[in-house]
Amino acid sequence: MNQPAKLGRGLDRCPNAPSTQEIIARDKHPAPFWVRSESYQFLGDEDIPTERYYDPEFAKREWERLWPRTWQFACREEHIPEVGDYYVYDIGRFSFIVTRVAEDEIKAFYNACLHRGTKLRASGTEGNTRLFKCPFHGWSWNLDGSLREVVCEWDFPHVRRESFALPEARVARRWGFVFINMDPDAPSFEEYVGEEALAHFDAWGMEQRYIHCHVAKVIPANWKLTMEAFMEAYHVLETHPQVAVSNADANSQYDIYGEHVNRFISCLGVVSPHHAGRFTEQDVLDQFTLGDSSFVADAERKLRPGETARQRMADLLREQFEKATGTSLAGVSDSELLDCFSYTLFPNTFLFAGISLPMVYRFRPLKDDHRKCLYEVFFLRPVPEGRPRPEPAPCQLLEPHQSFTEAQGMDPGFGAILDQDTENLRLEQEGIEASAKRGLTLGNYQEIRIRHFERAVDKYVGR
Amino acid sequence: MSERTFKRFCPLEELPPGAKKARNLDGVPVLVCHTGEGIFAVSNLCSHQEKFLHAGRVRAGRITCPLHGAQFDLKTGAALCLPATRPIATYEVRVVDGWIEVCA
Repeated sequence: MNQPAKLGRGLDRCPNAPSTQEIIARDKHPAPFWVRSESYQFLGDEDIPTERYYDPEFAKREWERLWPRTWQFACREEHIPEVGDYYVYDIGRFSFIVTRVAEDEIKAFYNACLHRGTKLRASGTEGNTRLFKCPFHGWSWNLDGSLREVVCEWDFPHVRRESFALPEARVARRWGFVFINMDPDAPSFEEYVGEEALAHFDAWGMEQRYIHCHVAKVIPANWKLTMEAFMEAYHVLETHPQVAVSNADANSQYDIYGEHVNRFISCLGVVSPHHAGRFTEQDVLDQFTLGDSSFVADAERKLRPGETARQRMADLLREQFEKATGTSLAGVSDSELLDCFSYTLFPNTFLFAGISLPMVYRFRPLKDDHRKCLYEVFFLRPVPEGRPRPEPAPCQLLEPHQSFTEAQGMDPGFGAILDQDTENLRLEQEGIEASAKRGLTLGNYQEIRIRHFERAVDKYVGR
Repeated sequence: MSERTFKRFCPLEELPPGAKKARNLDGVPVLVCHTGEGIFAVSNLCSHQEKFLHAGRVRAGRITCPLHGAQFDLKTGAALCLPATRPIATYEVRVVDGWIEVCA
């Protein structure tokens, strides 16, 4: 794919640079099937109308048609390990008490008393209980959602116990995640994700991970705009110059799978095509930034003649990571150790495979302001072998003026990257609203995830 | 003002890390929690509706009332979420001769 000539819409790739697959094919430890998959498709080159990012009518349609009909990441299983544990998941005005009602059964109850509507649990909380008792008049429900007690039942002869069980959303459990969907007619979670993407996620072993760090911050931009800032590596050169040298940005790979999943693979430890010929392998190694660089802080970084930065980094990471976490990486490829695999699971979750950047992102519009969203970053580390699963880290909510680098457990280099992304977003939201141009113009290849994502948005809001 | 007096709560060995225990100390309902961050003593009554807290889950330095879900910081007693808005009392705690002692 090195042709500089125009091949046609969506067929061109970064000229004079190896492809992602060519880079990965040179690694010592070969990559698994899901890394080697390629699934790009041209989806048109029209502008994306921008009123979706600021128009309250569009947000209203999303609240009516998109959020109540899609599968959403509500919590991790490790948030609710014991029977009686619950976790309140909120999306806009909707709220669910995701509860482990039996050892292997999880339900998501609509979080409202069936008497006069009081939330049974405050939003954003979690805990353990044997019953859900309304703090207003004391109506209560058993863990399984069946009605337990109506105070002064003599006054409610019209309340039939069997029709007063707590209403439920649907629940799907996969890879240690608990997903919910309010729509009884929605496809199953498996159908929604699609066979091919399902096989990718199945291969990662995310059920064997735990939340090592959880940080949240309100971003002054629409949730879709915010997500789209993370859907391409095209912005790395301008926005993150400190990492651009050691990131195959312009030659990253982009794929779409069905309606609800897309991804990129962005190789690390190789020089950016923008910087080709201007940096040595040693420079690339010296520039290498990781999501969790504490693993290789003290490592020897002088390359031997003929050795590549990418291979040295993979070898170092393998050794240091095994030592630091007590887990074996025997079956893990170099690519999984090094590269950034960013997947979007529609509507609002990013899942990252791999070892060096083990994140999950979640984005939710603020209930009262569709021009802002809550962005959450979870770092998922492997559960140490032979040891009990650590408790999930509690959420640290940053103030708007705070830097991501201030969060406990956040790698400073990675926090700085997130700050750079956030600064862009404020300007982008404001610029879109200020612009004479009412559409976003997208690159055919590098920005295909954004187009694919907005197609799914359009499908749900019914345009 | 009476001077601060510590009273024996229970032997330390009865309260390993991860455990919690409630009892009355001269009429004061006290809950002691041994967490990863240390030993903390608080009132065993939720400030929301004065229900006992001792069956609540302790995680990340906070206890959750099992009845209505109010949460309290074990270090400061601060109410962290609805339905509680007022703090619960916290008490000084120390370990002497293998006993947990509380100044309640």
